[in-house]
Amino acid sequence: MAQSVPAIPTDPDHLVEDIATDAEERVSVATQWQLMWWRFKQHRLGVFSGVVIVIFYLVVVFADLLAYVDPAQSEALRSLIAPQPIHWFDNGQFRPHVYALAGKRDPLTFKRVYEPDPERKIPITLFARGFEYKLLGMVPTDVHLIGLAGAPPEEGLYLLGTDLQGRDMWSRLMLGTRTSLTIGLLGVAISLFLGVLLGGLSGLYGGWVDTLIQRIIEITRSIPTIPLWMGLAAAVPNSWNVTQIYFSITIIISLIGWTELGRVVRGRFLSLREEDFVLAAELAGASQWRIIFRHMVPSFLSHIIAATTLALPAMIISETALSFLGLGLRPPAVSWGVLLQDAQNVQSLAISPWLLAAAIPVIIIILAFNFLGDGLRDAADPYGV
Amino acid sequence: MARKTRSSRLSRREFLKLSTFGGLGLIAAACTAPQTPAPATVAPKTEAKPAATTAPAAPVPTSAPAAKAPAAQSPGSNLVGKLEGPQVIRDASKMPATFKEAPMLADKVKAGQLPAVKDRLPSEPMVVQPLSEVGKYGGTWRRGFTGPADAENVNRILSADKPLFWDFTGNEIRPSLARDWKVSDDGKTITLYLRKGAKWSDGKPFTADDWMFWYEDIYGDKEITPTPHPDMLVNGKPGVMKKVDDYTVVFEFPEANYLFEDLLAGSTFIGGGQSTRQSTGNAGGGYAPAHYLKQFHAKYAGKDKVDAQAKEAKFDSWVAYFKNRIDYGLNPDLPTMGPWKTAQARNTPTFVLERNPYFWAVDTEGNQLPYIDKLQLTLAENLENLNLKAIAGEYDWQERHTDMQKLPVFIENQQKGGYTVRLDPALNGSDSTLHVSQTYEADPEIAKWLRKKEFRQALSMGINRDQLNETFWLGTGKPGNGLPDPSMPFSPGAEWNDKYAKYDAAAANALLDKIGLDKKDGEGFRLRTDGKGKLTLELITVGAQFVPYTKHAEMIREQWRKIGIDAVVKELERSLAFQRSKNNENQIMFWANDGSEFIYLFPRHALPVDPAECHMGQAIADWYASGGKQGKEPQDADLKQALQLFSSAGGKKREERVKIAQDIWKIYAENLWSIGTVGRSPAFMGVRIVKNTMGNVPARQLNAQHGRTPNASHPETLYFKS
Repeated sequence: MAQSVPAIPTDPDHLVEDIATDAEERVSVATQWQLMWWRFKQHRLGVFSGVVIVIFYLVVVFADLLAYVDPAQSEALRSLIAPQPIHWFDNGQFRPHVYALAGKRDPLTFKRVYEPDPERKIPITLFARGFEYKLLGMVPTDVHLIGLAGAPPEEGLYLLGTDLQGRDMWSRLMLGTRTSLTIGLLGVAISLFLGVLLGGLSGLYGGWVDTLIQRIIEITRSIPTIPLWMGLAAAVPNSWNVTQIYFSITIIISLIGWTELGRVVRGRFLSLREEDFVLAAELAGASQWRIIFRHMVPSFLSHIIAATTLALPAMIISETALSFLGLGLRPPAVSWGVLLQDAQNVQSLAISPWLLAAAIPVIIIILAFNFLGDGLRDAADPYGV
Repeated sequence: MARKTRSSRLSRREFLKLSTFGGLGLIAAACTAPQTPAPATVAPKTEAKPAATTAPAAPVPTSAPAAKAPAAQSPGSNLVGKLEGPQVIRDASKMPATFKEAPMLADKVKAGQLPAVKDRLPSEPMVVQPLSEVGKYGGTWRRGFTGPADAENVNRILSADKPLFWDFTGNEIRPSLARDWKVSDDGKTITLYLRKGAKWSDGKPFTADDWMFWYEDIYGDKEITPTPHPDMLVNGKPGVMKKVDDYTVVFEFPEANYLFEDLLAGSTFIGGGQSTRQSTGNAGGGYAPAHYLKQFHAKYAGKDKVDAQAKEAKFDSWVAYFKNRIDYGLNPDLPTMGPWKTAQARNTPTFVLERNPYFWAVDTEGNQLPYIDKLQLTLAENLENLNLKAIAGEYDWQERHTDMQKLPVFIENQQKGGYTVRLDPALNGSDSTLHVSQTYEADPEIAKWLRKKEFRQALSMGINRDQLNETFWLGTGKPGNGLPDPSMPFSPGAEWNDKYAKYDAAAANALLDKIGLDKKDGEGFRLRTDGKGKLTLELITVGAQFVPYTKHAEMIREQWRKIGIDAVVKELERSLAFQRSKNNENQIMFWANDGSEFIYLFPRHALPVDPAECHMGQAIADWYASGGKQGKEPQDADLKQALQLFSSAGGKKREERVKIAQDIWKIYAENLWSIGTVGRSPAFMGVRIVKNTMGNVPARQLNAQHGRTPNASHPETLYFKS
């Protein structure tokens, strides 16, 4: 008790702390969310990734607007057109246009070949008319962000080329992005619900509830995921329609995804249960619900957000992997996995590599989520170094 | 502590950054690498007329394909050569006087392990005139196969073990295992003359007793063969097989059965040969090695003993074990009559066959066939893998599982892989056929429409076959309703192939409106007449086949939107889809109509007559095969008429039979119980990749079920030039 406290801390970290500045003053009075935001802003890659993710989700919302051709519209005579270059200037003036293509099958090589005709320029316009859809699911319209002036877009515009059936890859990619990313969100939402519920119960009550839930988590996690998914996905009746399969696949991938979150939540509960402020609240007579939601949840919410962000890419990859293996979504649904499944053959690599385009957004979004999660995790612990 | 955490975080970031660049780099590499200029010379062997390169091309590809005239020269015609093949010499004066043998066998003869070649060959061996020249002995023929279920891969190559066979045109019967045959004037007796002195691959004599053993103890054994086979019946009445002497067998029927000689030459139960008809659980084929098999047969070895044997070998019953013992691919000890015999079984990663030292055929100079020492089939985990190996030039001759869609890649790599691509268009009308069940019942409304002729005609006219052909057949197929190629004698004429097979959405819509399907929902889909919403058809497909049925079905589903017909595509596992057909549960099943070009030998894909496989109405096939005792009688008068015509043909002579077949096809074209799409193409076993070192390779070979592709080219006459 009577031990003397050293007047000058020897720890170099404390030395720094001694030289207090205005900024430090600010830190000491800021709320936790402010602290987190400041901290997150420092993580440039994280912020950049956040922007990328926002852009991707804008694509999700406005997929039909960004697509310019009905993704199911096929035409054999437009089979396997390579991505088409856009010519930005015409006689020195800014007038983006594409060349008209003339296609035929080469009788010797058997490839379909398309000759651009520089004499026939088709200007690209904004807000052109195309196939009909409902903007935001409500407003019927046929306006699309890009299109061609003087020609239906499917007859001249091939930003990312076409697939074997002559369907426009750009438009398919836009709608595939919608499917893949919403499956990820939905899956994470279900995982989060299950994880918080079961992890919370486990951490809060302890005892046999904890043991039971933790063993379930361990058993689930000990099974290799791909075979487990494959088994579950194979159990989905073939007769289900696209929407039913979509939801069942979401549930299948979240059935495994919740375990990670459950663990995180339980750990947080266990450590916070012993904290002084919880004890104080208890002594003050707060109800259990109030303790959980008023005192405990806010203090680990940031961790949950970080963990969720890191779980999202796993969900997206799961859907892509399952669909790639032919067990997830099936045509006519379009998702990244379905698009990649179409490219699962020798001829795609050899003669039409643009069919692999769906792999690029997969890589970008997975990395973006990882960077964002990385930044969020740092930010969630603003006092840490 | 703090520093440590930081360094680990940094490394995580670094890792992510690196993986970003790595990933992007990989993509860049993947995108650029294949764009290196392709080898410019494709050098087609045959007279190539690249006329189409100068053909006026369409200005902008539009969605109106009808406006596009097909190129002046259809793609691939430079890869389709002249139909040719080796000939079986029947003129006794051309019989070689002396015989030679492969060096590997000569060594064994010298060592006293094998009798001399003269003593191994029958007194009248089959003499084959090789296609181009007398070949050289030696070498290993490398092929790919997809596992134990891919028995047909080799069955077909061993099909010389059929009693009779077709020549390379597919129109003339030639002797094979049998030296000769005779049909009596009344058509009731068919005699087979065997080759005197022919021997099994173990050197034991091959005689009429081996035929009688099959007839009495395999076909006649109720446990092995519970029900009689239609091949052995005429008008539902059974025929009998009799031994005349050691080298003569007769088949006697109560009524005229002129068709029977065709059956003996076809890919049928009775004429399919030992290899094909006694593998994978089958027990047909007409003959079997009695001296070897008696030890496994209950009648000769005793039931207790064979049961014990089966138990020891882990089989359920002696019959199951017997069926395993008669499978040449699974039992290397089995004596056979084919040009090669199994050295390493089919259920191993490498299926190896070696020359049969007792093979009963020689070339025109008296060299015992086959020329090639060994067949070696390596297991490919999947079809992509197999095709990659073909592209890399790792197979010497591969026509099976080669994917039409990869044709540009095959062609591009010809020089690098040291092979030549040849196309062998088939003669059947449709590779991807919509078999419309006439016995589906689960949904009475759907069943009603499936049985309506006009409905099927409208569905057919709603299919844009040019689109399918261009996309999935690379333009090499011929659109049509499923009728055989007009070059076949059974074809009623080229004009019949197009009946209801031209895309005409307006006519289809008018027809559907007329038959009472005129109400539509908001999306433009036609409504059911029972008030239960829109009419939705179910299209059943099977994956990983020679052609991508599921993709075809999806394209057709899209096309049918224009005629207001909704459909769902269900891809099922093969055995499940077939079981559902057996249970009359499929509405429309996608399958080929291979074999239908010779309707009498392989009718199952053209008419509901074979209970073994029927997608047009199992119950009708049961009814037909059982003579009305089982199954369901068809209510459709046209179908009944077609079945009557078919059953009457067996007793008619050839010219009349051909005429009847034409009449059947005319009824079929009007009724479309199965709707053909694109056929007469090389998609099924017609993309042939052959190493340039191989000799006696036909420019084009008969690609047909009855020709046992590639067996009409007599694989035993292929050889390695170097």
